[in-house]
Amino acid sequence: MSQMDPDAVSKAFVEHYYSTFDTNRVGLAGLYQEASMLTFEGQKIQGVQSIVAKLTSLPFNQCKHHISTVDCQPSGPASGMLVFVSGNLQLAGEEHTLKFSQMFHLMPTPQGSFYVFNDIFRLNYA
Amino acid sequence: MFIFLFSFAKNIFNFILEISTMAETNKGMEEEVASAFVNHYYHLFDNDRSSLSTLYNATSLLTFEGQKIYGVEDISNKLKQLPFDQCRHSISTVDSQPSSIAGGCGGIIVFVSGSLQLHGEDHPLRFSQTFHLIPVLQGSFFVQNEMFRLNYG
Repeated sequence: MSQMDPDAVSKAFVEHYYSTFDTNRVGLAGLYQEASMLTFEGQKIQGVQSIVAKLTSLPFNQCKHHISTVDCQPSGPASGMLVFVSGNLQLAGEEHTLKFSQMFHLMPTPQGSFYVFNDIFRLNYA
Repeated sequence: MFIFLFSFAKNIFNFILEISTMAETNKGMEEEVASAFVNHYYHLFDNDRSSLSTLYNATSLLTFEGQKIYGVEDISNKLKQLPFDQCRHSISTVDSQPSSIAGGCGGIIVFVSGSLQLHGEDHPLRFSQTFHLIPVLQGSFFVQNEMFRLNYG
């Protein structure tokens, strides 16, 4: 993992996260753990079960994320990575897309992958 | 000039006092720290941009509209050279979370959205910004990570 380019790792993570969100939302459970925290439009949620319950109960069935920007930085000695995303969210049946920003703090797993420790999501209203 | 220095020193002192008082309680204090930090950061940015250097150190990282900048000197230079003299930030949302489990490094992630009015410009610019604050021994925090993006319509 340490030999991999952090920009490439964060890009791969972002693509995986949003394609899972858009096609198999319940599959997001594999990306969070018990200690994970999500703040979704100001609502604080802790732990993979509660987080997945929140994400799968959002009031839309189909959506598609279009990513505009991805920035990443190493977060410190624990080999975490901060990933800062902005883009658009198209809900099925809605005319206009919603702009959003999202911040992930990824932590490494023993298997050489990453899980989401921190997740903060905000819509960007005009 | 003296009055200016005094009010500036008072700001820093109040910030550190507020933070070190909270650092003792530790549990769930990230909201208060985030709020105090955000007030302090944008006040400095809008009134005394060169003093932002007090918030960074040699290990700090800034990504500004995709450009990566390392260390307090280069970060300070970048912020000083931004192509506007006067600006005013209006903050819409502040979210925060601890960046490690309890007993870990005590870092705090702060996620901000708002708008930025440049002097002389008609319309404000919308932005989002992420900070990762790390505590220092004196009870204050420094900015280890920072990422800034304008949110275009």
